[in-house]
Amino acid sequence: MEILRAENLSKTYGKGETRVEALKNASFSIEKGEFISIVGPSGSGKSTLLNLIGALDNPTSGKVFLNGRYIFDIKEEELAVFRRRNIGFVFQAYNLIPELNVEENIVLPLLLDYKKPDKEYIDELLNTLGLTERRHHLPNQLSGGQQQRVAIGRALAAKPAVILADEPTGNLDSRNSRDVIDLMKLSVDKYRQTLLMITHNENYAAYGDRVFRVEDGIVAELGGGVR
Amino acid sequence: MKSYLMLVHSYLKAHSKKTRLAVISVAMSVALVTGMFSMVDVFLRFEKLQVIYTYGNYHLAVKDASDEEASIIRNRIDVRNAGRWKDLGIGQINGADCRLGALDEVFAGNMNIEVLQGNFPREKNEVMLEKWAAERLFQGAETGNLVRIAFEDNTEKKFIVSGIYNDLGKMKAEGVPGVMMSASGTEGITDVRQNLFFVEFKSKVRINRAVAEIKGELDIADDRIGLNTHLLSVIGQSEHKAAVGLYTIGAVLFTLVLIAGVVMIYNTFNISVMERVRQFGLLRCVGASKAQIKRLVRKEGLAIALRAIPPGIALGMLMALVCSAILKFYNNTIFGEIPLFSISIAGILLGIAIGFLTVFMASLVPAKKAAGVSPVNAVSGSNEMKISKTVKKGFLSKLMRLEIAMGMNSAFMKKKTLFLMACSIALSIIMFLGFNVFIDFMHTSLKTTKPNTPDISLVSEKGMGEEIFERLSGLDGVKRIYGRKLAYVNASFDVSRLRETYKKSFGEIKTESNGLFVPPEKSWLISYDENQFRWAKPDLLEGELSAARMNEENGVIAVAQNLRNNITTETVGFKLGDKVYIDTPTGKKELTVMGILRQVPFNSQELTLTAFVVTEKVFSDTMGETGFKVIDIQLKNRKDERTVGILKSMAGDGINLLDVRQKNSEINQLFLTMAVFVYGFVAVIAIISILNIINTMNTSVVSKTRYLGVMRAIGMSGRQLNSMVLTEAATYSVIGSAAGAIIGSLLQKILIMNYLSSFNIKWRFPLFQIAIILVLVSTVTVFSVISPLKRIREKGITEIVNSL
Ligand SMILES: Nc1ncnc2c1ncn2[C@@H]1O[C@H](COP(=O)(O)OP(=O)(O)O)[C@@H](O)[C@H]1O
Ligand SMILES: [Mg+2]
Repeated sequence: MEILRAENLSKTYGKGETRVEALKNASFSIEKGEFISIVGPSGSGKSTLLNLIGALDNPTSGKVFLNGRYIFDIKEEELAVFRRRNIGFVFQAYNLIPELNVEENIVLPLLLDYKKPDKEYIDELLNTLGLTERRHHLPNQLSGGQQQRVAIGRALAAKPAVILADEPTGNLDSRNSRDVIDLMKLSVDKYRQTLLMITHNENYAAYGDRVFRVEDGIVAELGGGVR
Repeated sequence: MKSYLMLVHSYLKAHSKKTRLAVISVAMSVALVTGMFSMVDVFLRFEKLQVIYTYGNYHLAVKDASDEEASIIRNRIDVRNAGRWKDLGIGQINGADCRLGALDEVFAGNMNIEVLQGNFPREKNEVMLEKWAAERLFQGAETGNLVRIAFEDNTEKKFIVSGIYNDLGKMKAEGVPGVMMSASGTEGITDVRQNLFFVEFKSKVRINRAVAEIKGELDIADDRIGLNTHLLSVIGQSEHKAAVGLYTIGAVLFTLVLIAGVVMIYNTFNISVMERVRQFGLLRCVGASKAQIKRLVRKEGLAIALRAIPPGIALGMLMALVCSAILKFYNNTIFGEIPLFSISIAGILLGIAIGFLTVFMASLVPAKKAAGVSPVNAVSGSNEMKISKTVKKGFLSKLMRLEIAMGMNSAFMKKKTLFLMACSIALSIIMFLGFNVFIDFMHTSLKTTKPNTPDISLVSEKGMGEEIFERLSGLDGVKRIYGRKLAYVNASFDVSRLRETYKKSFGEIKTESNGLFVPPEKSWLISYDENQFRWAKPDLLEGELSAARMNEENGVIAVAQNLRNNITTETVGFKLGDKVYIDTPTGKKELTVMGILRQVPFNSQELTLTAFVVTEKVFSDTMGETGFKVIDIQLKNRKDERTVGILKSMAGDGINLLDVRQKNSEINQLFLTMAVFVYGFVAVIAIISILNIINTMNTSVVSKTRYLGVMRAIGMSGRQLNSMVLTEAATYSVIGSAAGAIIGSLLQKILIMNYLSSFNIKWRFPLFQIAIILVLVSTVTVFSVISPLKRIREKGITEIVNSL
């Protein structure tokens, strides 16, 4: 089942001399449950691609369909709702809410939707992420690896259609990085989630079912052409 | 980049929005401090001239000083000018009442006496007349004319008019003109009402000490010494209890202004502290030493202060300028010697000091923090918040909507920000309430003209009939006329209504067989028309003021306060429905008390038991047709001399014309001088406070830009975002307002009860003021949050978050 499709997605920043073609005519399709690794040199347009898919930014041209829904004509208010139900983000800088404890951070997307969190699911999630002991801690009382695990929990909480992770291990040492990647993989398999993950580390790219390579704004799939 | 210190300029430029907010905040505080202190400074200069104009330019008055004493005092090195004033009581000039006096020529200027024509009287047989009197009473007496003056002891002498001097409002209003004799002319006169030797000291003289010296050296008793407390008060030298009370209040409130200036700056800086911790930590990472960071911070503070202080000072000076301009525009004769641009050095210096000091204090905190945490922590942003070590268990409350709970949570978690925010708002409110004390003071200590104040009064002992009333109504320039019939009557009622103190002052009060007491004094019966009843409404303590009902049921309005020997007392405590029996030519007339007024706006010349107000109809029913004793006239245009001329022609023949206009405008002038500044203080506080709230709320939202971007990425909707940020802002406002209202009211109470009791000011809970504050604070909060929030929402998420 196709969950995400990009058609001729392009993004150009700036005008005149500062004009940058960050993304050029990207087209691809992703099935439900797939784990996609995205690699490429710095400044190649990876984040741009992910931001467009996550509807954080508008493309210069092209389309993105998520769950069959064209996402760029959704109005601001509705978009927020769409985002919290369908897209989970994991950021490089964790971006946890400093005033909320671990558990609150994780269930935040559900609370934003005025939904009652499914306690069993959340407990299980905390357990899977190894955060059961820390559920009442505040982000600044956690290590970087733990904080990123909380962020993964937050992305998974609402069981979104896709999870978008932009260099989730960028701020972590190798041990913690491995833990985080393992966990992502595990959760994706366990909850049959679709994941797009940007990574710098070619080793982690191998975790993906498919690997996209971005270079100079051109997206290509390794080991096969762009579909 | 030549030196690392250049970082400052790069940083300030890169964060131009935040820099601007910081600069605004510093400028506002500097403006507040400079403005308030400049205003007091300028205010005292204006008030000094005003007081000199109203009360005379002297510091000390020695009663019955001998010539020897006078000459010793006059020759002291610290005395600038001195002169003798003799009040010779009421005399008659060409048959009309006048007030006789003599003042040394050298001191005439000090007492605002100005010779308009001719000379100051010097010879024994010379006198000088007040201008209006010369014109009106003596049919245009001129210099050189002969006048006959009868003294109190019934001796009569002839005098030559040597000159004409300016009108004095109070004399004009009373209709008794002043006649000034020469010093030598008073020599033979022994019947002197008052003999005062006025002394003006040089500026900067410690007056109380000089007075003590004079008293000691010449052995003058206390009761012979009088001080011009009004003048001493405005030059800060009064030791009078009331003045000291005012000084204390001033000191407290202006200390508050200084504190508020500091807190406002500190608050804005604190909000952006965390980012700066990161910035400094970063520098530590690349090898900056603690000392270098400190220097950097100082440089940055200096840069902000240098940008903020000049506009702040300018704004503060502008406030004082506005006040000066209003007063000089209104009356440039009194204030002519004060330049429009009067600069207060003290105000400017204080503004600069507060600006620099606080900026340094405020920016040193993040530097210290950055130096304290390890560079890594500072950069990675952990340790971002100082949160109590205990684990946070509280789950987001299920009672409130999520965004509300989050807003409150984020306010309460940052204790220091919450404290400073609330403090800043609270201080504004405390200042506002505190300075309102001056408004109370002003309204109780100074009078203004009321809607019922006449421009001209016609007074007649034998009464004026309807025909005069009619002629007056026919005049073009007349806006309103309202007359009063007056009579002193024997009134009796239930003896238990008499106050104990009053009863005691008469020993025993006899009671007749019918239960009514025998009145020891007459009562004052006054008639009002519709207008006067309407104007009396604010003074109504109980009952109602319905002319129709009073006419139908023979109603009477009792007056609670009774001025006896210049002291306001209560002689009777009436209740609604009490019966009052008034002796009339046709027997006793029964009236019913239908209302109780606090006071009437005029005083009886005789001592009375109490006063009653009735309608004109009831008055005639009781007393018969008597005519009006007083007819008050309000003019359409106060400067309409033509109409006044016609009125003057109606006077004479037992009708006396009192021209109250000059006195009214002097009273208003006295009030205005103070009001401009007192309201100026309150307005400045209100404006600065509002701008400060807007600025800090703005800063707080702007500093959250990234956080808000993340919330949106997670899926918070615009509406949720709005309520979250608004809730946080509202939390600050509510706590600040509550604390401010409570502390401010208490401060008011303490100040009024301890320092203003001598002015008979009572503290009342400032409900109305607090209501205004709440409305203002909440509106300002909402508006100051919504606009930066909207700007943030309009931008793309990636644009504001940069790297997620
Ligand atoms: N907001 C922006 N404005 C202008 N240029 C941008 C913006 N964001 C990214 N770019 C440019 O687009 C290109 C791709 O950026 P990005 O997608 O962040 O790269 P990557 O994530 O692969 O490192 C870069 O050259 C970058 O400079
Ligand atoms: Mg990137």
